[in-house]
Amino acid sequence: MSKVTKFLMATALVLPLASTAHAEGKVEGIHHWVSESEVGALKVLTDSLGAKGFTWEDSAVGGLSGANATQALRTRMAAGNPPATMQLLGYEGVEWANEGALRSLNEPYAKNGWEAAIAPAILPFVKAGDDYFAVPINMHRQNWVWANKAVFDAHGITEPKSWDELIAAGKTLKEAGVTPIALSDQSWQILEVFEAILTDQNGTDFYRKAVIDLDEAALSGPEMLKAFDTLGEVRGLVDAGYTGRDWAVATGMVASGEAAMQIMGDWAKGEFLAKGMKPGVDFLCFPTPAATPNFKFVIDSFGTFGNEDPAITAGQDAWVETVMDAENQKNFNLIKGSIPARTDVPVDDFDDCAKRSFADREAAVAAGTMVGGLTEGFAAQPQFAGVFFDVVGQFFVTEMTSQEAVQMLVDGINNAR
Amino acid sequence: MRRPLTFKDRLAALLPKLVLSPSILAVSVGVYLFIVWTAAISFSSSKMMPRFDFVGLDQYVRLWSTPRWITAVENLFLFTALFLAVTIAIGLFMAILLDQKIRAEGVLRAIYLYPMALSFIVTGTAWKWIMNPTLGVQKVVNDLGWTSFTFDWITRPEVAIYCVVIAAVWQSTGFAMAIFLAGLRGIDNSIIKAAQIEGAGLTRIYLAIIVPMLRPAFLSVIVLLSYISIKSFDLVLALTNAGPGSATEMPSTFMFSATFLRNQMGVGAASAMMMLMTVAAIIVPYLYSELKEDRNGH
Repeated sequence: MSKVTKFLMATALVLPLASTAHAEGKVEGIHHWVSESEVGALKVLTDSLGAKGFTWEDSAVGGLSGANATQALRTRMAAGNPPATMQLLGYEGVEWANEGALRSLNEPYAKNGWEAAIAPAILPFVKAGDDYFAVPINMHRQNWVWANKAVFDAHGITEPKSWDELIAAGKTLKEAGVTPIALSDQSWQILEVFEAILTDQNGTDFYRKAVIDLDEAALSGPEMLKAFDTLGEVRGLVDAGYTGRDWAVATGMVASGEAAMQIMGDWAKGEFLAKGMKPGVDFLCFPTPAATPNFKFVIDSFGTFGNEDPAITAGQDAWVETVMDAENQKNFNLIKGSIPARTDVPVDDFDDCAKRSFADREAAVAAGTMVGGLTEGFAAQPQFAGVFFDVVGQFFVTEMTSQEAVQMLVDGINNAR
Repeated sequence: MRRPLTFKDRLAALLPKLVLSPSILAVSVGVYLFIVWTAAISFSSSKMMPRFDFVGLDQYVRLWSTPRWITAVENLFLFTALFLAVTIAIGLFMAILLDQKIRAEGVLRAIYLYPMALSFIVTGTAWKWIMNPTLGVQKVVNDLGWTSFTFDWITRPEVAIYCVVIAAVWQSTGFAMAIFLAGLRGIDNSIIKAAQIEGAGLTRIYLAIIVPMLRPAFLSVIVLLSYISIKSFDLVLALTNAGPGSATEMPSTFMFSATFLRNQMGVGAASAMMMLMTVAAIIVPYLYSELKEDRNGH
């Protein structure tokens, strides 16, 4: 036998083995959870998946708030080699569903009655047309204020009920030599503050009209001007070294008492807990002050990509069930710091901040005041959200007037349409 | 009588082509094909995924009506001009000083060259802290007792771009110095001696004789530094993340965020084409003059 024939035969023998070994009982997922608590939380799901007889094949791509993972997915899609499942944020899943790349999950949704278990406000991010394309695992709330209790007590400050009160409290703190608000010049951190102001002052209906429907009259209206005016007041409440500060560093300033407050999603809670601080005792959590309470959600969900391989499909089915399992959702979120996407999970084991999140979500669902967070990609599509980032970011660091900001916003949105 | 061509002869004739073909193929696919591809995308309505339709110059119009892009272009010119001027001035000065047959020249040369060995990410992060008013230089000076001292450029949009220049100059000066030093070493000593005999002062010798003779070194430094400044991406990202606001936005950071973060692939491709044209405007005349000199037998 010649060397070539031997080589060919060896290849012929090995190849089928390799491909079966690849397909059997594995679920490959791309996600961007790489921090300690995120990895620990994901392990709850993968262990449960393992108990069902499937192995999780981890394709973590960290960095850039998930943008790197998104790029990895696009490369894989372009190469015709999609993963079994992918962590989806914002409009990413909707776009893929519209491209027809995601499997319809109507069957497990109908069988398990999942629709009744999730808040209707998140439907646009898990359902396109008549088809469910993703299962949500958790829910973060974006519009939180995190405060250092000792600093609040020392200066006689209590939970503010309006943005005017919050700013007045900030001025008191500033006079006392405390940095009132820990913030950064990173435009997403500023936008978190701005969209909280916008929603809290004008209500969720206005927010939907301006930010989700991008209605030009709303965008250029007096409500928008007022929101910029208020953000302009916040401008005076940050310290001099606020440039290039990561959100977790800002949280650290509140934890140490160097700053009094931070306006940030509830991923900030983990930073306090990691320092051994207790909610209500060492730090306070309360929603950004609004006349009518609202709930800004951010969800992580998993979509499953269409494929021909029954082994992969079986793995995807098991994965979807794993993600939506109520017990898994509870254990996952106890570690991750968010609350379950399912609204029917008992709250008893969660901390006070999460309990407040549960209660506020229930109220917001009932009142119809639950909306997606703009900053995290659950309101305007990325090309429009980008304009908000630019304008708000520039407004905050310059002497730009509110009128100029509104004009720039309207022009920018029209340019991106 | 002519000898019939043997296999060996043919191979010898073919060999250069054979050896070159993989790299030619790699370059034409990896560079030129994708330039064409990017150009095609820039004329399409592509958003999240590439789409091959034709919308004319729409994306270019959109690009040039984006204020952030205008800032990026202004920054590029300001940054390139300052970065080149300062780096060349300091680099040349250091090279001239080092050329004075001083002791421990090797050690000094290595020290000056070290920043070049760092990645721009490291430089950017370090300078971000150094220039932060509550962490870096300002705090140190204030703590020493000069409390009215301020150095908060990095927090001020109108001057933040100079912070990028400072960090980039720090990183690249040693490199410019090394090239100038090599150029200085290549200058014939007898010319300088002759000038000294004629009674020319040191300043005069440098300005009228040595610096003009460094022309090739200048050309190399200018071309290499301009392309560093056009592709500067990691430095800006690490140092200011294009902020405060969009004050330190550069074409490369704009291209990245449009294409990969904002689902505006068409706009991103249009900005990439604009960058390509800028680079071509610098490189093509340079190549042209180099090739022409080759033909003239230099």
